[in-house]
Amino acid sequence: MIYCYYISVSLILVILQTTIIPHLPLLNRCYDLLIPFIIYLGLARPTRESIPCVLFMGLIMDNLSGSPFGLYITTYLWLYVGVRGITKMLQVGQRLLIVALLVVAGVLIENLIFFSTFRILESQSRLSAEAYHQVVYQVIWAICTGPLMLLLFRNMQKRLNAGLKGFFNRQDKQKGTV
Amino acid sequence: MFSKKMVLIVGVIILIAVNIIIISIASRRHTTIGFERIAISFVAPFQELVTRSIDFIQGIWQHYFNLVTASKENYELRNRLNQAIEENNKWRELELANNRLRNLLNFQKSITKRVIAAEVIGKDPSAWFKTVVIDKGKADGLTRGLPVVMPEGITGQVIEVSNHYSKVMLIIDRNSAVDALVQRSRARGVIKGESRDQCRLNYVLRKHDVRVGDTVISSGLDGVYPKGLRIGLISDVIKRNSEIFQEVTITPFVDFEKLEEVLVVLDLQKHDLANQQ
Repeated sequence: MIYCYYISVSLILVILQTTIIPHLPLLNRCYDLLIPFIIYLGLARPTRESIPCVLFMGLIMDNLSGSPFGLYITTYLWLYVGVRGITKMLQVGQRLLIVALLVVAGVLIENLIFFSTFRILESQSRLSAEAYHQVVYQVIWAICTGPLMLLLFRNMQKRLNAGLKGFFNRQDKQKGTV
Repeated sequence: MFSKKMVLIVGVIILIAVNIIIISIASRRHTTIGFERIAISFVAPFQELVTRSIDFIQGIWQHYFNLVTASKENYELRNRLNQAIEENNKWRELELANNRLRNLLNFQKSITKRVIAAEVIGKDPSAWFKTVVIDKGKADGLTRGLPVVMPEGITGQVIEVSNHYSKVMLIIDRNSAVDALVQRSRARGVIKGESRDQCRLNYVLRKHDVRVGDTVISSGLDGVYPKGLRIGLISDVIKRNSEIFQEVTITPFVDFEKLEEVLVVLDLQKHDLANQQ
């Protein structure tokens, strides 16, 4: 059930990112919306649940994007590992500032991995001023919306857990009465 | 002397007569004694109060009904207006789609019979790569490597095909390369995407005559795009003394931000334009 939930959230985010967001004038320079979800998984969910989901998201993005295959899987795995490492060192909890910083760091790490790949794959690769503007816009969006998205994921998970708990309790009771 | 009955009858007659006389005199003079004034002064305020209250309640009642009616009417009119706006928008969209499709159809007739129109249904999730997903795939005869065009010019190339959908790499993607010619001077080069609105025309020798405003077309030598299709206009030329090649910037004719429908050229072998020039 939990995997179904993760897959649904991932697909909703990917569809948002590929169909609606490119047509919105201000949001068309938004960051990768899956980054907050990966950070949320790294912060709040166990590894055995998170790794398949991270791989699934990477696979979907690699297939939909024109990027070299494996770039998104690599990026997301590194991001996840990084967040797990940070949570072991720091007590992140629910501090909004640290959460915002984590999302910004995620956005920067993704762009860094992308730029490094361009550099390695294309000998004549040059980054235009527009590329730097793009990163700046992404960082601004990440600061503004990253923590909100993490809160949204946390609340949705809480509701889902409560709903599942209630459902299983009712089933147990029904079995008891039968 | 007079019976009691007689006295009663006479008394009644006199009373009636006196009454008539008083009424006739009073009707001529229109004078009132103080009692009427007192009565009026005492009763009138209550009358006024009751009358005004009734008027007030009546007014509220009427206004309420009027408001309810007006509100209902307003709601209905609003609904009708919304429907009309929606309908209008639908017609406008249809008209625009019609124009675009008519353009595509005309272009299709001029280029070849073996093309298929497809709709763009998704864009690349990353800002660093420029691909789109179209709603035609293997089932419609698409294969990897087929060129994708628009009436304005070259759009891109099919790079992945599933049963009903395909991924198209646009010419502005950093992985894209198109062999091209400058139409006026026939100078050759390779157009490389930069994942932004403009491309670069690489490997144009310094000695070649290339000017801002020149049209760039496909050369057909890359084996992907048919020869003679428009690509874009030269928007900037930099010639450095120390380098063999010029730096040429191209602004594509196709507006990739507004890509909605495209044509996929299915049969390159039967292409007319490749043999025309």
